[in-house]
Amino acid sequence: MIPDVRGYLRENRMPHILCPGCGHGIVLGALLRAVHALGIPQDRLAVVAGIGCSSRLAGYVDACTLHTTHGRALAFAAGLKLARPELVVIVLTGDGDGLSIGGNHLIHAARRNVDLTCILFNNAVYGMTGGQVAPTTQPGWVASTAPYGHPEPAFDGCALVQGAGGTFVARSMAYDPRGLQAILTEALEHRGFSYVEVLTDCPVYFGRYNRLGEGPELLWSQKARFGEVGQMLRDKRFVTPDGTAPAGRVEGLRFGILHRAERPEFTHVCWSQVRRGGDP
Amino acid sequence: MQTRNVLVVGVGGQGVLLASNVLAAACLARGYDVKKSEVKGMAQRGGAVVSFVRYGERVHSPLVERGRADLVLSLEWAEALRWAAYLRPGGVLAVDLVRILPPAAQLDHRTWQASYPAVEVERLRQAGWDVRPYEASRCAAELGDGRMANVVLLGAVSRELEFTVEEWEQALREVVPEQVVEANLRAFHAGRELPLASVSPGDVRRPAARTFRVEVTASWCKGRSCGICVRVCPEEVLAFGPDDRATAASPDRCTGCQLCQLLCPDFAVVVREEVAVG
Ligand code: SF4
Ligand code: SF4
Ligand code: SF4
Repeated sequence: MIPDVRGYLRENRMPHILCPGCGHGIVLGALLRAVHALGIPQDRLAVVAGIGCSSRLAGYVDACTLHTTHGRALAFAAGLKLARPELVVIVLTGDGDGLSIGGNHLIHAARRNVDLTCILFNNAVYGMTGGQVAPTTQPGWVASTAPYGHPEPAFDGCALVQGAGGTFVARSMAYDPRGLQAILTEALEHRGFSYVEVLTDCPVYFGRYNRLGEGPELLWSQKARFGEVGQMLRDKRFVTPDGTAPAGRVEGLRFGILHRAERPEFTHVCWSQVRRGGDP
Repeated sequence: MQTRNVLVVGVGGQGVLLASNVLAAACLARGYDVKKSEVKGMAQRGGAVVSFVRYGERVHSPLVERGRADLVLSLEWAEALRWAAYLRPGGVLAVDLVRILPPAAQLDHRTWQASYPAVEVERLRQAGWDVRPYEASRCAAELGDGRMANVVLLGAVSRELEFTVEEWEQALREVVPEQVVEANLRAFHAGRELPLASVSPGDVRRPAARTFRVEVTASWCKGRSCGICVRVCPEEVLAFGPDDRATAASPDRCTGCQLCQLLCPDFAVVVREEVAVG
């Protein structure tokens, strides 16, 4: 049986503020199960978040949590990790928070190879502010600021982080909570900068604007939109009446652990310098 | 020599094909002609798997007709019942007494207990077959890996077949992946020592029932506008209550798959196994 991980929640703050059917909570569940399986004590776990729907999740985790400014979660987290290297530091960030406003922090945290686990919730919109396009909105997808379909190409966050020097890069989706948990477990165990991008859904804006249905439909359709089409056609729950791929299908996104490398870790390098120089 | 007809049967994941490959390799080691054919389409869903093996001086077709098998090697009780009719009168039915519930039998927990056939060895004996029940799965689990039940059972019937121990060992080394050869050789020899299971005529065994309890914390549930758990539950256990929150409307049907718990974004569903007291 999978365990009940509600002991890791600040139960007095529940229910959380996310909309009904929002995929973010599924991702948090997978994360808490990974933390539980690794036996990380709550007082050694730090969860740092920026601004946005996904970043709100940090406030519900009963651990050391830090709700910071927009896009800056990684900078706060890097400072925290440097000062308290014994902590396991997890960063929860959204695609807007992490890839546009905080894009610079993301590439530099990857370049420095700070020992953090960054979980980027990619729902392709700015949910909290009303469904505007994000850097991950795919061309053609509709958003409140792109009523005729988004004219720009999208970022591939995993390729970006790998290019910037991240040493653990993976992608998963809320539709696959068990696979996600396995990836998060490895990301937490990795020493260095781990980036896990999770495709999740915003039924309220993304789903509604793109006519992809509500929470359940959106969730089932993830496999069809991002996964293998053959698999989707076998999954009878989500096919268009003519049996073709649904609208909004994204080609070429790769899933699983995409990159893994060994490089000197930032905190370790800094502390070695400090020790060599005498007084910390 | 007359061509010998063997069926190896079981359900997906039990290693039916491996066991029949070992048998075929032993036949080749002895210099027999051997033909093999299998039906394994349902294996991935825990469905029935059958492998026909025919060997002798010269074998022309791989299929065994009903009523013509000399030996049925069954890795599971219900599968033994399914294939027993392939035996010739007096044919040997070697069966592992493990019972694996097919997915269809789990659909309704209220009745599946009754829908799985009872272990009634005597009735098969009355039909004129030489029934040899073994606790092969239990023996394999004691050896450290229940998956080796197939090789344990092969060891048990190897005493009846004409191949030498060396031929069996050579066949195992050929077929089994290298890193588990030693473990499988141990399983094979444990099988050769395995006594018949004692099943008294009145010994009717039924699988133990598992029951699960689904709890929905109504104050955390976001209700009909979410609806993920209600839609995902394969057994339609969950429905919306009068307050529009999800609730376990048909709790008896729950199979404990926990999809609802995995996919509820609001931590509102928890599924627990009920441990029977007393
Ligand atoms: S606005 Fe969208 S992303 Fe934000 S909580 Fe609601 S459904 Fe989730
Ligand atoms: S998935 Fe959770 S929040 Fe959604 S309806 Fe079911 S119990 Fe309620
Ligand atoms: S565990 Fe949940 S999804 Fe699975 S059968 Fe029970 S109620 Fe349905």
